[in-house]
Amino acid sequence: MTAAIDIRGVTKIYNPGSNQPVKALDSVSLSINDNEFFTLLGPSGCGKTTLLRLIAGFEQVSGGEIMLFDDEIENLESNQRPVNTVFQHYALFPHMSVASNVAFGLERLKKPRSEIDETVARVLALVKMTEFGDRRPSQLSGGQQQRVALARALAPSPKVLLLDEPLSALDLKLRQAMREELKQLQKETGITFVFVTHDQDEALAMSDRIAVMSNGEVQQIGGPTDIYEHPVNRFVADFIGDTNFMDGEIVDIQDDLVTCRIGANSLYKAQNSGGHSVGDRVTLFLRPEKITLSAAGQANGADSRPGKVTNIVYLGNQAAYTVDMGDGIELTAQARPREDGKLPFTIDESIAVGFSARALRVLAK
Amino acid sequence: MSGWLPRSAAGRRWLGLAPSYFVIGIFMLVPMVIMGVFSFLEPNPYGGVKPVGSVAAYVKLFFEYDLEDKLIFNSGYINIIFRSFQLSAGATLMCLLFGFPVAYYITLQPENRRNFYIYLITIPFWTNLLIRTFAWIIILGRGGVIETPLLAAGIIEESLRMMYTDGAIAIGLTYSYLPLMVLPIYASLEKLDFRLLEAASDLYASRFEVMTKVVIPLCKPGIIAGCILVFIPCLGAFIAPNLLGGGKKLMLGSLVQFQFASARNWPFGAALSMLLLSAVVIMLIFYARAASRRAAMEGESRS
Repeated sequence: MTAAIDIRGVTKIYNPGSNQPVKALDSVSLSINDNEFFTLLGPSGCGKTTLLRLIAGFEQVSGGEIMLFDDEIENLESNQRPVNTVFQHYALFPHMSVASNVAFGLERLKKPRSEIDETVARVLALVKMTEFGDRRPSQLSGGQQQRVALARALAPSPKVLLLDEPLSALDLKLRQAMREELKQLQKETGITFVFVTHDQDEALAMSDRIAVMSNGEVQQIGGPTDIYEHPVNRFVADFIGDTNFMDGEIVDIQDDLVTCRIGANSLYKAQNSGGHSVGDRVTLFLRPEKITLSAAGQANGADSRPGKVTNIVYLGNQAAYTVDMGDGIELTAQARPREDGKLPFTIDESIAVGFSARALRVLAK
Repeated sequence: MSGWLPRSAAGRRWLGLAPSYFVIGIFMLVPMVIMGVFSFLEPNPYGGVKPVGSVAAYVKLFFEYDLEDKLIFNSGYINIIFRSFQLSAGATLMCLLFGFPVAYYITLQPENRRNFYIYLITIPFWTNLLIRTFAWIIILGRGGVIETPLLAAGIIEESLRMMYTDGAIAIGLTYSYLPLMVLPIYASLEKLDFRLLEAASDLYASRFEVMTKVVIPLCKPGIIAGCILVFIPCLGAFIAPNLLGGGKKLMLGSLVQFQFASARNWPFGAALSMLLLSAVVIMLIFYARAASRRAAMEGESRS
């Protein structure tokens, strides 16, 4: 299958030749499938926005190739690339009505007037903004401007739609509602979406595939569950979701289980991800939701260890507990409040901490 | 709160503005009223005015007396007024053509360097306009900076006769008032969100279309303000027309100056000034109307 976008060894260096060159992207290669919701995820400064701007044509690559459906585009001006962008702060033209904003791209492409009017009406309906065609952007709320920006970018039927943190300026409720809508819109239009965000929840909720980036490099590419359950390194495990890390040394390997010594003398069994040998320094990671907390003495199963609550953060639907496991090991786990709203454990309470060896995974150091 | 302050907000506002009203009243309104009154008096041949009411000054704008003392239409002064408008419009257009790219260029510079460029733009204001205009005589004149090398190289056979032409006046005016075009355009370009340029380019606009569809419409207020700031002083200018036009090609400003200085016809000078003033006021009213219409259109209540 032909890739919608094929990034081949793309490097971007800002201020080359100056005394402070900045390498924003370091030989990045990735392939985005047609009709895919693809997310570039990473902290600020990781190069995700730079990559998007290179695809859009706002910046020029320092090296490498960008293919769009087998056409080489990295040397084209942005107005010659059949991709459109939804900007972080919308960048709607303030001197034009909503309808003129949406028609802008089609007019530049010299489409006949009747077709322009038809398309504008259709995309405005698609984003549920039909009755706002005559308004100015300044008369719209943030969420409405967001929809107009989407309609404007969709109107010319781009081969790929680029979205640069489009939800970051919206408040939480609206942001969550827009997630669903964006995903829905991508399915309806069948256009490939390349979505840039630093918000892991957004990425997990919407994407078909995610590329996690840091320091100008792609750390891991995969589906949301791949990335969450099987991170390839500590950065990915740490960036996506909350995680407990334990540094230790492998002391024994039996089939699909490895035994690690953590701290001075605590032994933990974990799932073997392969390629390890006895004596390796490794990091184990354990998602908080895979830990079951129960009152001391009520624990069932051999996987339970004693611990002591040292801190509680109340989050409404649940509480995050920090538990001292002894030997300098601290784990964070979650527990739901009881039906009467009270939290199940108190600070300094001794409890049983249960988790299966299947939930503990080994990351290479 | 002190007891002597007016109690109502409106009263306090008025009190706060009182110094400005005072200054504007003394230095602007009073002289204007004096001019208005003078224009309806008779001239005193030794300078000043005679306190005798007369509309002769306004009649003189359009008519003259022939040998038989009959009033006949005289287009002389109207021609001067017309030429003044023409030259001022030409100079304004030239200022716009040169000023816009300069302002745009400055906007594209890193922030710390912009102030330096703006400072360079304002440097000419530090020197007397008269001296700067004299410099143009050296540049344009016979045997001047432009002609001499061309003559020496044999590119031209004889003097270009650039001095004492409408063109020389227009160059002088353009030079004098260019900063007044650059500054307001820069002020509006500086506020421009350059992401809009990327958005336009992303939506298939060529560089030219980015300019005409996005940049120019958005800095229209600055362009209009610059045009007004250049056009109005051009209309009343007399240094450039006198020095570079040789006093032969009169403009409104030099005509007014001539009436007060040499011709000793203060009422006629005052009448010309009133004419100039009304032209300016009419233009400003149109501008204010257009501006308020635009503000009304863009500032409609959010829903």
